[in-house]
Amino acid sequence: MSEGPGLPRRERVALLVQLGVSRLLSPLWLTLTPLLMRFGFGWRVDAEERAVAVREYRRVRGESSAPLLLCANHLTMFDSFVIGWAIGSPGGYLRDFGAVPWNTPEEVHFASTWWKRILVYLYKCVPLKRGGDRAQVAKTLDKVRFLLARGETVLVFPEGGRSRTARVEVDSAAYGVGRLVTSLPGCRVLCVYLRGEGQGSWSDLPRRGERFHVAVALIEPKSDKRGLRASLDVARQITAQLAEMEHSYFDGR
Amino acid sequence: MNAKEIQDRVLKILTPYVKDEKALASAGPGTNILEDLKVNSARLVDVVLAFEDEFDIEIADEDVDSVNTIGDCVTLIAQKVT
Repeated sequence: MSEGPGLPRRERVALLVQLGVSRLLSPLWLTLTPLLMRFGFGWRVDAEERAVAVREYRRVRGESSAPLLLCANHLTMFDSFVIGWAIGSPGGYLRDFGAVPWNTPEEVHFASTWWKRILVYLYKCVPLKRGGDRAQVAKTLDKVRFLLARGETVLVFPEGGRSRTARVEVDSAAYGVGRLVTSLPGCRVLCVYLRGEGQGSWSDLPRRGERFHVAVALIEPKSDKRGLRASLDVARQITAQLAEMEHSYFDGR
Repeated sequence: MNAKEIQDRVLKILTPYVKDEKALASAGPGTNILEDLKVNSARLVDVVLAFEDEFDIEIADEDVDSVNTIGDCVTLIAQKVT
């Protein structure tokens, strides 16, 4: 399997160093982050749904060494933290550090100040400049491909940004996600649908005391199409799965 | 097909996606599609698919990485149609 043939050695080493530093300090931040979410913000995740999600994520990681991409709906800037909390436990993550998902946050939001850059570095992030130079975006995709091929999991938001309608928009699928999947043979996608009971629209931060619901579903999207059309087709299969999970969420309310 | 003809057809395809119509009126080979014309980056793939249909060509994923300006589009399409 290719480990990002387009990624220069220097970039690969930099990612591995970041991984090492992050792992070294992980007992600290893997413990403090959920405590901050639970007791600082008062957030909770439905216990039963969380147990199912944690079990399923562990099963999916354990059953195959094929690349695993996590794709989620996107409503707040803290979704990736809450998702990490909702599908895993600090103990589980310490035992299997590859299960801690990498993220691709928007550079403008998360890499603008020195302390945010430190957090981004520790929290397994590869900042992405959305709408930036195409070669730079391609380089970020190469980094993600490299990480996936090494058995790391990566969390991406296939709608490309927080949903302005607060609903999953199938046609907003970012083709880059499909490109990632089609370029990695056997790549599996674990769709994660996360929503707080008070999330009626997109926002920066979930409300204090928010209670989240979570659901996961494994898919292996494939396309008979070629090139860009195949990438777009795969990306839309992923957003369609998330939309289906969203319908189930609202049907159950 | 010469570069001018390709550019005219490229601009026609881009028109519905452009948010800065003033920039479109003075667009040339050096005009950046995302920064100058304010085309949404998520829609860039739709633009490229429209190029495929318009010129009856196939554009690979990797080719999209080199598309930043109108001139890049013209060069890419010219390579594919010949």
